[in-house]
Amino acid sequence: MDGEANFRDMIRRFAQSAHALQAFDAGEVDAVVDPSTGSAILLGGPQSPDVATRNKAERALQQSNRFARASLDRLATYICVLDSAGTVIMTNKAWRAFAANEGMGAGVPEGANYLEACDNARGQERLDGLAIAAGIRRVIAGEYELFRYQYARASPQGRCGFAFSVRGFPGEGAVSILISHESAAEPEHAHPQPTPRLPAGSRAPVSNRLLSALSRDGYQRLLGAGLEPVSLSCGDVLFEPGEAIRHVHFPQECVVSLLMPIGGHPATEVGLVGREGVVGFPVALWISALPVRALVQGAGSAMRMASAHFRKQLQENPQLQRELHRYSHALMTQVMQTSACHHFHALEQRLARKLLMTRERVLSDEFHLTHESLADMLGVRRAGVTLAACALQRAQLIAYSRGNIRILDPKGLEAAACSCYTPLKDT
Amino acid sequence: MARPRRKAAKSPPAALTVVVMRLYIAAGSTNSVKAVANLDAICREYLKEGYELEIVDVIKYPLRAVTDGVLVTPSLAKLSPAPTARVAGNLSDKSSLLLALGIKAPVK
Repeated sequence: MDGEANFRDMIRRFAQSAHALQAFDAGEVDAVVDPSTGSAILLGGPQSPDVATRNKAERALQQSNRFARASLDRLATYICVLDSAGTVIMTNKAWRAFAANEGMGAGVPEGANYLEACDNARGQERLDGLAIAAGIRRVIAGEYELFRYQYARASPQGRCGFAFSVRGFPGEGAVSILISHESAAEPEHAHPQPTPRLPAGSRAPVSNRLLSALSRDGYQRLLGAGLEPVSLSCGDVLFEPGEAIRHVHFPQECVVSLLMPIGGHPATEVGLVGREGVVGFPVALWISALPVRALVQGAGSAMRMASAHFRKQLQENPQLQRELHRYSHALMTQVMQTSACHHFHALEQRLARKLLMTRERVLSDEFHLTHESLADMLGVRRAGVTLAACALQRAQLIAYSRGNIRILDPKGLEAAACSCYTPLKDT
Repeated sequence: MARPRRKAAKSPPAALTVVVMRLYIAAGSTNSVKAVANLDAICREYLKEGYELEIVDVIKYPLRAVTDGVLVTPSLAKLSPAPTARVAGNLSDKSSLLLALGIKAPVK
C-alpha cells in the first residue's frame, strides 16, 4: 500500500528512536505528525478502517459486558443467565454466594448445564428441580414468556421461602434465559393455620396454601397424576360461564377474578382467588361448569391439573378432600360477604378492600390493575373508580399511575376499607 | 481535548518523587483511547498522587508535537525526573512502560 509505505518512510527519516517505527509496524499508531508541513495526519484511511472500527466495537462490547457484570453484582437478587441449551453463561455475586450455601442448583458454575443439575437434583430438592426444569424448558421453547415458582426450604433459622422467576429474552441468534431468585415471605410461616400439621420438613414445597397443606407424599402423588406448573398472563380466561371446567388451577402468585355477567351489564366480580385457594373447585362436587368467568387479573404461576384426574385423586386423598372442603367454606364466606358489601358500603371503602385483598394474594405492595378492570370488578362506572382512587391517593394511602398501584400505607388503607375486610382477611 | 487534562500532584509530600509526563494523542482514535486507559491504570496502581500528566491532542496542536519532536501518536514522553524517555504505541506493554517511567529497575 503506497500510503502506508510513505508513512513508514517518513517515520524512518525523522524518527529519533526505533520506538515509533515499532509501534507503527504493530498497528498501534493513530496519527503521524509531518514535521516538514507541521500537520498531523490521521491514519484512518490508508490503515484499514475496518480494523479500527472492529476494535472500537469490540472495546464497546467488552465495556458493556463489564458494565453488565458490575451492575448485576450490585443487585441483591440472585441472578443467573442461561443460553438456549441451559448452559450457565453468567451469574452475579449474590447468586454465587447463595449457591455456595443452599438453594436450587447449588454450585452450578458458569459453563455447566443448569437444566441437567435440576433434573438430577436429589432429596429435598428433587420435586422443585423437576418443576423448575420443566418451566425453564417451556420458556426456552417460547411457550411461556415468564415462569414463576415458589418453594420453601428448611434451614437452621426456620423455613425460608424463595421466589424463582424465569424469563426469556432474545439474545444473539437463540433466546437467552434470565433466572432471578429471591427470598420471599414463607406463606405458611406468616399465616399459621389452626389444623394439626405434619412436621415442617415434610411439607410440599409450593406457595399455594391448599397444596402446601398436603404432606410431601400427598403432593408427590398429585405431581405423578399430572399436576403441572403453568404460567398465566393478565387477561387469560380459565373458563367462561357455563363452559366445562377442563382444569383446576391452584394459583401460586397469580390472582384470578371470578366475574359474573348479568344481562347486558359488564361482569361484576363475585370472588377473588389467589394462593389461598383453587379455581374450579366445583369439579370436586362433581359439577362441571360455573356461571362465572375466571379471569386472570395478576400474572404469575399456578399449578394445574385436568379435572378428571383431579376428581380421581380427590377420592384417593382424604387430606386433599379436607383442605378443599375448608376452602369451599372460605370462598362461600367471601362471596356472601362481598354480595352484602356491594349493597351497603361506599365505593371508596370497597376499593380499599379490593386493593387489600389483591395485595394479600400477590404478596406485594405493588401490582397492576387498570381503572377499567377495577370498574368491572366493583360493578361501577370508570369515573367512579377514578374518584375513589383519587381520594385514596389524596389521603396518601396509595400511589396510582397508569394502572400501577402501590400501597403506601397498608394500615391506613385497612382503616379506610369497609368492615367486610376483617372477616375476609386470609380467606 | 482539554489541556492540561490532569494535574494530580497538588502538594505531594516532600519526599515523594513526582513523575512528569506528557502524552500525545489523536483524540478519539482507538490506540489513543487505549493509551490513555493503560496509562491511567499504571498511574493509579504505581504512582498514586505522585505524578503530573499533560495530554496533548496533536490534531488540535500539531505544532507542539513538531516542537517536541513527536512523530506518531500515541506517544508518551517522560520529562522528569531524569533520565527522560519516550514510548510510542498504545502502552499495552506494561513492563516496558514501567521500565521507561523508572518505576521498575531494568533486569541485570
